[in-house]
Amino acid sequence: MMQSDAKLQTSQPKEVGKPTLTSQQIGCLRFSPCGQLLAAGDYNGHVQLWRVSDAGLAAVPPLTGKHNGFVDAIAFAPKEQLLFTADTWGRLSCWDYALWLKDDAPAADAIKPRWSIDAAHDGYIRSVLVSADGKHLATCGRDQIVRLWSTDGKLKFELKEHREDVYALAFSPDSLLLASGNLKGAIHLHTAQDGKHQKQLDATSLYKYDRIQDVGGARVLTFARDGQSLYCGGAMPSGGGFVQATPKLLRFDCKTGKLEKEWTLGDPAHGFVYEIIEHTTGELLLITSGQPGQGRFMLLNPDEKEPGFINTKMANCHAMTLHPGGHRIAIAATNGGSNANGRDSALKNGEYTGNHSPIHLWDLPSSAE
Amino acid sequence: MLTLRSQSGSRQACVVVLLACTSFIGATQAIGAQLPLHARIDALIEAGAKGQPMATAAEDAEFLRRVYLDFTGSIPSADVAEKFFADQNGDKRSKLIHELASGDSFSQRLADLFHIMLMERRGDSASWQQYLLASFKANKPWNQLAQEILSPDARNEQTRASAFFYTRRLEKVGEQETDYPGLTRDVGRLFLGIDLQCAQCHNHLTVDDYKQADFQGLFAFYQNIAIHSSEFPAIAEKPTVKKIEFASVFNKKPKETGPRVPTLPEEREIAIPVFEKGKEFMMPADTKTKLPGVLAFSPLEQLSKQLPTAENGAFARNMANRLWFLMMGRGLVDPLDLHHSGNPPSHPQLLELLAKEFAAHGYDVKWMIRELALTKTYQRSSILPSGSEPKVDRFTVALERRLSYEQLLQSMLTASGQLDMVMTKDRAGDKPLPAYEDLRKKFAASFAAETKEAEVHVDHTLKAALFVRNDVAFLALLQPRAGNLIQKLLDEKDDAKLAHQLYLSVLTRKPLPEETAAVAAFLKSYGEQRATATRDLAWALLTSSEFMVNH
Amino acid sequence: MQHKRNSSSLCTPHEHALSRRVMLGTMAGGAASMAFGGLATPAVAEALRQKEKQVLFIWLDGGISQLESWDPKPNTSFGGPFRSVPTSVKGVHFCELMQRTAKHMDKLAVIRSLCTHDNAHSSGVARIQRGDPKNRGVVYPYLGSAFAKLLGPTSSKLPPYVWIKPGSGGFKAEHAGFLGPKYGALAFGDGQPPDNLLRHESISEEADTQRNELREAINRRYAVQRRKVSTEASTAVFDTAQQLMKRQDLFDATTFSAADIQRYGTHDLGRHTLIARKMLEAGVRFVNVTSYGWDTHGDHFNGSASLIPKFDQAFSAIIEDLHASGMLENVLVVAISEFGRTPRINGHIGRDHWPEAWSTVMAGCGIKRGIVSGSTNEQGTWVKDNPYDIGHVFHTMFKALGIDSIDTEYDNGGQPLPIAHEDMQSITEVLA
Repeated sequence: MMQSDAKLQTSQPKEVGKPTLTSQQIGCLRFSPCGQLLAAGDYNGHVQLWRVSDAGLAAVPPLTGKHNGFVDAIAFAPKEQLLFTADTWGRLSCWDYALWLKDDAPAADAIKPRWSIDAAHDGYIRSVLVSADGKHLATCGRDQIVRLWSTDGKLKFELKEHREDVYALAFSPDSLLLASGNLKGAIHLHTAQDGKHQKQLDATSLYKYDRIQDVGGARVLTFARDGQSLYCGGAMPSGGGFVQATPKLLRFDCKTGKLEKEWTLGDPAHGFVYEIIEHTTGELLLITSGQPGQGRFMLLNPDEKEPGFINTKMANCHAMTLHPGGHRIAIAATNGGSNANGRDSALKNGEYTGNHSPIHLWDLPSSAE
Repeated sequence: MLTLRSQSGSRQACVVVLLACTSFIGATQAIGAQLPLHARIDALIEAGAKGQPMATAAEDAEFLRRVYLDFTGSIPSADVAEKFFADQNGDKRSKLIHELASGDSFSQRLADLFHIMLMERRGDSASWQQYLLASFKANKPWNQLAQEILSPDARNEQTRASAFFYTRRLEKVGEQETDYPGLTRDVGRLFLGIDLQCAQCHNHLTVDDYKQADFQGLFAFYQNIAIHSSEFPAIAEKPTVKKIEFASVFNKKPKETGPRVPTLPEEREIAIPVFEKGKEFMMPADTKTKLPGVLAFSPLEQLSKQLPTAENGAFARNMANRLWFLMMGRGLVDPLDLHHSGNPPSHPQLLELLAKEFAAHGYDVKWMIRELALTKTYQRSSILPSGSEPKVDRFTVALERRLSYEQLLQSMLTASGQLDMVMTKDRAGDKPLPAYEDLRKKFAASFAAETKEAEVHVDHTLKAALFVRNDVAFLALLQPRAGNLIQKLLDEKDDAKLAHQLYLSVLTRKPLPEETAAVAAFLKSYGEQRATATRDLAWALLTSSEFMVNH
Repeated sequence: MQHKRNSSSLCTPHEHALSRRVMLGTMAGGAASMAFGGLATPAVAEALRQKEKQVLFIWLDGGISQLESWDPKPNTSFGGPFRSVPTSVKGVHFCELMQRTAKHMDKLAVIRSLCTHDNAHSSGVARIQRGDPKNRGVVYPYLGSAFAKLLGPTSSKLPPYVWIKPGSGGFKAEHAGFLGPKYGALAFGDGQPPDNLLRHESISEEADTQRNELREAINRRYAVQRRKVSTEASTAVFDTAQQLMKRQDLFDATTFSAADIQRYGTHDLGRHTLIARKMLEAGVRFVNVTSYGWDTHGDHFNGSASLIPKFDQAFSAIIEDLHASGMLENVLVVAISEFGRTPRINGHIGRDHWPEAWSTVMAGCGIKRGIVSGSTNEQGTWVKDNPYDIGHVFHTMFKALGIDSIDTEYDNGGQPLPIAHEDMQSITEVLA
């Protein structure tokens, strides 16, 4: 649970500088373990990259032409300097990103993956993750299968209990357990070493069948730092179509599999929880995205019912990552005015342009001892 | 500004003609002020026939049924019919009309009619419907009724239920916004005969008379009202401090208006007084009694003072036209909520006359309907005088009219001799039996118009057809019970007498010889199963077109 | 809803097309207001009635995304996450969410260049279903009512315009517009029969027939010297009731095989499409199957991943079955929405309304097989060639069923009215 017995004050992050503008919409965002690189997957099949410094982010040429569809899932290995990227056509690739940090970094089109599997999944890969001990690589997606690999691309196990679109993955801090969550709110726990099924958890409150649409799902998973609980984020859908859904966070006891606590984090316009990060302070960082324009960045003390910090200024926050230094947070949000029907609002300067994801940097103040 | 033609010129003409008239005794085609209204109406209809052949006067049967339905909400019983047909008195028809016009059933009938007209099947409310009944029992004039509805008084126990007109329309539906524009539109339609729906965001595209300023002026009365929580329907007004700003979506020129009755001149726009803060209320809201506050300047009160007045010709014209429609089957202005210079009445002089007389007689609804019933026009047959279809706007033939579910139910119960179903055995408390409530709900579901639809046209629906064919509660009406029609018919061994009883009870007339023969043949074909045949004979008549419409 | 509201509840543009006659209250001829519109030439009517053509109209309410179905643009800036799959016609691809229907492309005609004008649901739905003809100040009938008028019921005498939809059923007169309530839609909510469909046990079938004959005889006598309007309508609904009562089986779900139920899908759209097949087999002239919930402004790709395969399942099943039984020769199949969806992806990871470039599909009677007509540009933002409005589609549908869409006219109380937009014509490319 918590590191100290003292009652925790919720930190109040502050935004740093102006957002870094990008030209694309971003689906996933991660800092490298060394903290020097920020990587993002976008809706054009690119991997966007920035050098990270105290001053902010400096763009370096993105990886283009390496993926198809969306790059909706990326993960850094904790120890080896590897970046794993996955796209919605099923390709999983592994990159030696150390080369990119050097001054004589190769030209973008000369960069080749260490290895790449075109059909790691049949279609949409939703999540990719490496265990803390660096031994296990997990992927999951729309083909309803969770796959465990070695970091050199060898398939070790296929976990087929889901029978539904699998959205989320989480490794326990001790790297022993893999949690995976699906569209209908079922969460399965497996042991990573042997792929054996251990338990099923019930997050079906995050799912609704509306008319003929399956709405919601266990969208994001993360274990608590002490490995005793599992957090699951999603929403309680009011309905399908344009999707009204109230953000929701659940916490399960890993041993019993029972729901320990739940938080309702807004109203039906606010949408889904997209990321949950447990900070060393014990606080949870959360982002949500709902109706166009609705985005929230929250800090929640798990002992409390309500978040102690809520920022609503960033529209539609889809991805968040915590710098390994523990103080800086990067959030990929969306430009305002992203939605419009029909011709009148279509053109800007005579062109039909898409939306994009500005990246906001926030700092957590140093925690007092 | 909405202008409608007025006929001030014709008054002078009237006087001249009257003078000419007095030197002649007897029939004249002129509109003399001495003749009763119903005669003047007939003269104008006859003058406007445009070569259309006139139907003959309705036979006794047709007349009796029609007038009973219109005044009492039900067909007459067989006994009443028998007596009326036997009556040799030359003026029995006028006598009957006068009698029914002063009866209790007429008040109930009017309460039903106004409930349907004003609420358009948005649901029932016991207090509202009782309020209407009490109003008509007391023969409350239409302008007073309109005042009470347009400006409900929560502190007057006798009249406060009038707020239902507003509260039902202000109820929120799901996540939709409160429909103030819909309420504004309905006030225009039902009290003034103008449908300003398409003039909210710009001047009406096809009706030149309807301007955006008209809609907004009327809307200005409603911008600050809301439902007030209470045990009874009530509304509360918040202070109105400024004009409404509006602009056409086409030219975006900013304009503003205070509350204004659209059919009155622009100068009659109501100025909005300024009050010191805290002085806007004459009477504050009372949290103990749950009564809403009363404003010192209440737009609704102003509305109730300006709209239902002689100055506002549209007010009288609207109701005169609607009452004409109720009795004759088609408005002089059609549709009823579309008075404008591009949609003139079929008989302009007639409408003016009706409006004028209605206002002059203190907006007396009962009087007006009685006068309409006394006309030859009303009393014509619906049987076509020649083979061809008539021009309906000439009123040379009586038009078929829709029966409300209330009329159908009462008539079915009367026809089948089961009115006692309505009351408990000991008549204590006048409570309807549960079986009656069940039946009433089913009749409403099968025969009433859709919510928010004006219930004006004759409408045959599949739902109704299946209902009368197969519904257990409906078919139960055709089971024999002590004293009911089926039992009487079962007890009648003589086929001709059976036919007579059947037709008189159900269709309010004697059977023609061929019909008596058909009944006998039908019964014969069933042989032993006379009971079944009897039941099915009654069913066929009860579900026939002749029964299900007012002709 | 996120739509901009620069107008309020009363100011819906489609109201602007309200009957000029209703607006002005002027009466044409002596007919009753909203008189039943006739056909201009009775001879034409009779000829058409002989042919027993039928229509299956699948309405995906809310706007199915053309980019996730008929006109995929994989790996383009707005193409979305999904792959495309080849179809049974070389060179033609559908989104991977439509794999089953892809196998039947050889029976379909896909129009990818629809370009219409209305991006609002409230007005757009009616405009598309009415064919958006030139404004003549009348309320045009929905397609089903139009066919009910133009072709009438088949020899089955079942109601010509049946609407299978979730939610409530009942008679929806408003679809008929100026044609008059007789041509409205008979809706079966969730395919359920109307109340009181079953003949009551106290009445034998024979007695039921006899009492109805008696009733009709009484009506005929009454009608002899009276205006036609009332008795015609009354007779019509009783006839319809009669026909429906004879066909209880139309509402009996146990008559479907387990295999069929699985093939079409146990979800509403699957079940309703299967019921539609039965209605068509029974001889209903025009069956509208409506599915709601397609307006995926948010979570669109997940929504599409759930919705579109269900449509794919039901649609491919019925195409397969109609083809196998030979019915596809005489049944025109149309699947359409009120518009498509924007290439641009909004912040709720959704697509908004896009009438500028979208798709529809037709198959069956009078329609060429295995053809794509019109195209959009590389990004799917605009139509590249052969933009078609819904008027063109209406001409095409009428023509496909052997109706001369140019010369046939409605007679609205003396006012002749074209049955489709008078400045447009059929898409000859897709006509067989």
